[in-house]
Amino acid sequence: MSKTVLVVDDSLSIREAVSYTLQAEGFSVIKADNGKNALKNLTGNTVDLIITDLHMPEMDGIELTKEIRKLNDFVHTPILLLTTESQVSKKMEAKQAGATGWIVKPFESERLIAVIKKVLR
Amino acid sequence: MDIMEEFKQKFVEEAEEFITDLEASLLILEKNPHEKEQIEKVFRIMHTLKGNGGMFGYNKISEFTHNLESIYDFVRNGEMEINKELLDVTLLSVDHLKVLLQTGDDLDANTQKTHNLFSSKIEKIINEKLMGGKDYSIKNANNDSFLPFGSSAEKNLDEATYYIKFVPNPDIFKDGTNPLFLLDEIHTLGTCSVVAHLENIPVAGSFDCAKCYTWWEVFLATPLKIGTINDVFIFVEDDSKIEITEIASFSLFTNDDFRKYIIELQKAEKQFDIDIIKKFAGNTETFIETKETTVEKGDLFLPQPSKIKVKADSSISSIRVSSSKVDLLMNLVSEMVTLQARLNLFNEKHHDPELQAITESVQKLSRQLRDNAFSISLIPIGSILTRFQRLVRDLSGELGKKVNFIIEGEETELDKTIVESLSDPLMHILRNSLDHGIETPENRIKSGKPEEGNIFLKACYSGSNVHIKVRDDGAGIDPEKILKKARQKGIVSEQAVLDKNQILDLVFAPGFSTAEVVSDISGRGVGMDVVSRKITEIRGEVVLDSDKGKGTTITIILPLTLSIIDGMQVNIGETTYIIPLYAVHKIYSVSHQIIQKAFDNVIALEGEQLPFFSLREHFQVPGNSPEREEVIVVKYENRKVGLLIDRVIGEYQTVLKPLGKHYKSQEFISGGTILGDGTIALVLDTNKIISKFSKRTLTMEESK
Repeated sequence: MSKTVLVVDDSLSIREAVSYTLQAEGFSVIKADNGKNALKNLTGNTVDLIITDLHMPEMDGIELTKEIRKLNDFVHTPILLLTTESQVSKKMEAKQAGATGWIVKPFESERLIAVIKKVLR
Repeated sequence: MDIMEEFKQKFVEEAEEFITDLEASLLILEKNPHEKEQIEKVFRIMHTLKGNGGMFGYNKISEFTHNLESIYDFVRNGEMEINKELLDVTLLSVDHLKVLLQTGDDLDANTQKTHNLFSSKIEKIINEKLMGGKDYSIKNANNDSFLPFGSSAEKNLDEATYYIKFVPNPDIFKDGTNPLFLLDEIHTLGTCSVVAHLENIPVAGSFDCAKCYTWWEVFLATPLKIGTINDVFIFVEDDSKIEITEIASFSLFTNDDFRKYIIELQKAEKQFDIDIIKKFAGNTETFIETKETTVEKGDLFLPQPSKIKVKADSSISSIRVSSSKVDLLMNLVSEMVTLQARLNLFNEKHHDPELQAITESVQKLSRQLRDNAFSISLIPIGSILTRFQRLVRDLSGELGKKVNFIIEGEETELDKTIVESLSDPLMHILRNSLDHGIETPENRIKSGKPEEGNIFLKACYSGSNVHIKVRDDGAGIDPEKILKKARQKGIVSEQAVLDKNQILDLVFAPGFSTAEVVSDISGRGVGMDVVSRKITEIRGEVVLDSDKGKGTTITIILPLTLSIIDGMQVNIGETTYIIPLYAVHKIYSVSHQIIQKAFDNVIALEGEQLPFFSLREHFQVPGNSPEREEVIVVKYENRKVGLLIDRVIGEYQTVLKPLGKHYKSQEFISGGTILGDGTIALVLDTNKIISKFSKRTLTMEESK
């Protein structure tokens, strides 16, 4: 069975591009445009990996990570954060919140896939 | 289309939306520079543009917004104030961003010139900030991970040399991680030399083969950013000690002494000595301050900006759908509504409780579906109004006028196509107001007005219409001047006697333009006639009212043109009519005798004098009125009129179909609809009935 990835990004273009890349690799993709919807999408779904943007209105990636870690079913689900160079300072915070990894934008689709495979291994 | 192109297109569309929001926020900041929410929003948009730009190959945008982002990062951290200069540069940069969105990375000579100009302006602001602010130097002293503009981490093309210290957790093997693979990954990033330190390996007796005793030092010259190097270690950094330091902003591997020193270290397994490295870097006098971006716990990071609650942003949680899909949805829904009517009728004929239950549920659902589908096709008018804020700001500056532009009712929703075709006419009206309406500050003071002129743009619902009013407190229109001009141009004959309103209407006549000097702003040969024509095209109406010396008000009245409406089905004789439910205020049952006795078509109902209007009479329906007639009180604005009908049938969801061009001159009918049994009912245009009817009562001679 194909693995399911939840992609969370407030920016449509990134969300679609990441989703496309993942689908091309055979993953099933669930999309959400913000943290709150992401949490909604998690309930009742089996999700093997969560990829979320760091900087989002309302609920950012770190807050989302914290919320996800509170959910019994997703305590161990890998969470990758998408971010840019200038947010390096947030990395620690992200890690403490329970994030598994960190991908710096811009990234090549190959690198994204490589990281994901590493996480899901 | 190539899939990547498709994403690029999405990025551009999205970026355009971001830029519109950005402008709106900047304009708010201009009025109120301390609105944290807006600063936060500006920062966020810059940040997103930077990140997304890079992802989709818009590197120029990415670079450009990076610097802007830095500026607004200062601002949101309270290290920099927003001033006019900054806003001007930002707004101009926003314009440039729009250009960059179109051109991509290939700039022609001119654009490149602008690009350089703005880049240097922004750099200047940042550099001034970096050099000037004492505050900064203190802050930066314990703020090592800050990358000032132009630091080598930003120059992708130039290589920089990094020192990486990697001390893995002794238990690293237990996670299945092989540290050598990580070193291999580092190898792929650029030129690198690794020094392995084996001194911790114990003697064979106490050696635990499941533990990692080795640690490494790596020198890496790479054009990649430090974040990419960090990424290599993302899964081990929790427990392992990783230190990444930039030691030179160029490749030290070109330096022979450095290479010799590394070889020496490798042989001796000696530790790296910063002073010696500094010497190598210093040789070429480009050594820059060591910047640590260690990812070890407890190290210094940027102080977290104070948490700001970012308000829910309506524009973010939306999706894009092509309008043809929405049209299709609307069509399907209207088909369903018609079918629903058939089901209702069928249900009434067959007294089956189960069928009734189903019919009611389906009706409820289809109503919700209809309302939903309809709301999908509406967009708030605010989406185009922001553009005008910018227009007014720029034009008033150009004209040397002081104008306060106030927008109300941005949330008013209209059909998307209507909103889009409103843009040009509104822009023209605003240009007129700015150019001809609002006087120069000197003239305003002379005529005893405050120096600053006002332009109000207000959108609001009025029944099934939306009114958009543009009001200015400027010079107003001189009817004499208009008439004179119209006569000169031969638009009206010399003998014609016109009242004020008729004269003002001349403004909309084709070929009429009063501007004595054709200015750059209005009067480009496109007059109010074009405005009027464009509005008529979307079935709207333009009304102009002006008082000389006091100002002008232009009202655009637009239909919401709901293709599906809630109606009330009524009968007059055997004919069925639909009255829009939103207009229905009250229904009374009145004896026919009272109606007959009524004087001047006014009856008293609940102590209120109410003019009424017999539809039977107007539509010349054959037959006589029943003993008890129904008076449906319809309301429009503050006016109420009673409509006399025979019988109320009930509520009815209606798909409004236009009557076709032959019936265009029909006054009181807005369209037709197909009833459940296949017959046709006419839908009454209550607003027109009311306005026509109140005129009739006013002019008396028409009323019997």
